[in-house]
Amino acid sequence: MRVMTRVMAAVVAFALLFTFIPGKSTAATPYQGYIWNSKGRDIASINGYKYKQSIDGYGMPSGAFNAPEDVFIADDRSVYIVDTGNSRIVQLDSSLQYVRTIGDSEGDGVLSEPKGVYVTPDGTIYVADTKNARIVLFDKNGKYMKQFGKPDSPLIGDTFSYSPSKLLVDKRGYMFVVSDGNTQGLLQIDKNGAFKGFYGANHIGFSWGRLLRNMFATDAQKSQMATVKPLEFSNAVLDNEGFIFTTTLGTETSQIKRLSPVGVDTIGGNRQFGDLWSNGPFMVASFIDVAVDSNGIFTGLDLQTGKVFQYDKLGNMLFAFGGIGEQNGLFVTPSALAQSSDGTIFVADKGRNRIDLFRTTPFALLVQKASAFYVDGRYDEAESLWNEVLRENANYELAYLAIGKSLYKAERYKEAMSYFKLANSRGDYSAAFKEYRKEYMRDHFLSICLILVGAIILLRYLIPWAWRLAARRIRMKRSNYGAQQGGGIPQ
Amino acid sequence: MIQTFQLMKQVLTHPFNFYNDIQEPKRIRWIDAIIVMALAFIAKLISIVVTGYAFQTREAYEVSYLQEFVWLIVPWLTWSVANWGVSAILDGEGKFKEVFVGSAFALMPYVVMIIPVTLLTNLLALDENSIYSFLVNVAIYWSAWLLLIKVKVLHDFEPWKVIWITILSIIGIAIIWFIGILLFGLMNQLISFISELVQELNFRR
Repeated sequence: MRVMTRVMAAVVAFALLFTFIPGKSTAATPYQGYIWNSKGRDIASINGYKYKQSIDGYGMPSGAFNAPEDVFIADDRSVYIVDTGNSRIVQLDSSLQYVRTIGDSEGDGVLSEPKGVYVTPDGTIYVADTKNARIVLFDKNGKYMKQFGKPDSPLIGDTFSYSPSKLLVDKRGYMFVVSDGNTQGLLQIDKNGAFKGFYGANHIGFSWGRLLRNMFATDAQKSQMATVKPLEFSNAVLDNEGFIFTTTLGTETSQIKRLSPVGVDTIGGNRQFGDLWSNGPFMVASFIDVAVDSNGIFTGLDLQTGKVFQYDKLGNMLFAFGGIGEQNGLFVTPSALAQSSDGTIFVADKGRNRIDLFRTTPFALLVQKASAFYVDGRYDEAESLWNEVLRENANYELAYLAIGKSLYKAERYKEAMSYFKLANSRGDYSAAFKEYRKEYMRDHFLSICLILVGAIILLRYLIPWAWRLAARRIRMKRSNYGAQQGGGIPQ
Repeated sequence: MIQTFQLMKQVLTHPFNFYNDIQEPKRIRWIDAIIVMALAFIAKLISIVVTGYAFQTREAYEVSYLQEFVWLIVPWLTWSVANWGVSAILDGEGKFKEVFVGSAFALMPYVVMIIPVTLLTNLLALDENSIYSFLVNVAIYWSAWLLLIKVKVLHDFEPWKVIWITILSIIGIAIIWFIGILLFGLMNQLISFISELVQELNFRR
């Protein structure tokens, strides 16, 4: 008994010991990474981006920011922050040190709540000076150069309210301007300020309801109905291949488009970006900004959920991070994002008057590298990288698809089939199966022929013969039975 | 049992004779219908299991055998009732037993064809889908054709009246289902009312 008590005491003491060992304390990310798989389910994944630091202007000669609406990273990695509330642009160098403030205190260079900025490779700064309804150019030293007001064209008309909010400048020097509330597309303005037409407008889809209404409504009723307008763009960004990425508000599919020079979406397929369902069934993702890296991997910012979503060049989802909240890594009201050439993502949070920086995790670097090979069609080089991805996260569906394609290309169809099965890709599975079937037929031609001949013989001769035999037996049994019933009198 | 198999063979090879013959007394039993429906259900289950991966649109957990059973049995039962009722009013000669058993036997083409056809999906690629869907359609149209013959022969109708009766029967099915769902809802209300009443009384005890 006494021994028992002692043993118990020892056990309890030993157990208590563990309560004094402090738990490993880590600064956990306030969000859990995930991807949407092909079955429309969110699957937990490894985080691709982690919060690194914030820039809020305190301690800089510029002073604190106020409601920043845009952030732009130039080719030389200097950062331009559109400090909308203070009506100025703050320029930082690549190590995030203050360089200068753009926007004069008097004269033509005075800005009024600008919302967008674009810097060309030669350093010319284009500012969308929203409240003043103009575009202002500054040279690379921040000196006022010239301005372009509302373009003059019969296509635009007098009632057009010009409110440039975002802009980009292509290689020809053409400006592509997003004007708030304009549904006709991006305004193209050449380097002399002349209007050159609208670009890439969204289309109005077909609707049965509208067709019915238009068929039966009288003219008076029609005039009472709200006119249907195409959806407006919320942002436009130029990638390094000359394609223009746009974000559209108020739609569930194709919110992010990659427009070719003639204005056609090249991501294609009514893809649904953002969360498939978030906090309720009727929350439509509202993408307000997008950033593209040199591999064509694009990152969208959704205002509705405050989340940042990253996709490969083909529109396959890679990562999601962020969200609405107060912790570092979450946002109050995100307004813009940009990606520097080292992969760091800058998110402007106008609700908290600062810019948050996110660094890539090793997992994200791995996936992005693999994705770059995969998108280029260099499947065999991508394969080993994707295998590494799977070692870290076996639920990463895209990796199975990519490995399957690599195996398919290497004509290892049987293995490709099993990978396509894991990737839930029935179409690719079927293609691999077709090749496998061909191969199998070639290898087993003789035995297949023999089996076919055997089957024909079996069906044509053996089974009917067995059937007749059985039928005769039954008939014999019955006639015997009948004879007995009839009292043995032959008929 | 042997007799049931002979009937099955006859409905596939000589449907007109089959529906004439089953009107003779003591030719059919209720159990024949149940055997055929059980076979149809088993065939359906097997066909779900053996479908090739590329053709399988549902995950395993999305398949409910109970639901498959209900979707097979309920249409058959309601069709039998509706068709018998409508024909009885409009001078049809068929008895309920004949309609009940005859409708079950009309599913024989489906029973016979669906398993070999679904096995084919293991050999076909997705772009050869048309072969598969064609064969499935053959099975379904064949069954529908047998149903029409059944209506014609059992009740001794002319062709136009067959179509008219079929349409009326389908409307009848819709009405039966509507009333069924309505009753289900009302019963739910009643049951929850009584249970709440009991609960309420329990609280005030």
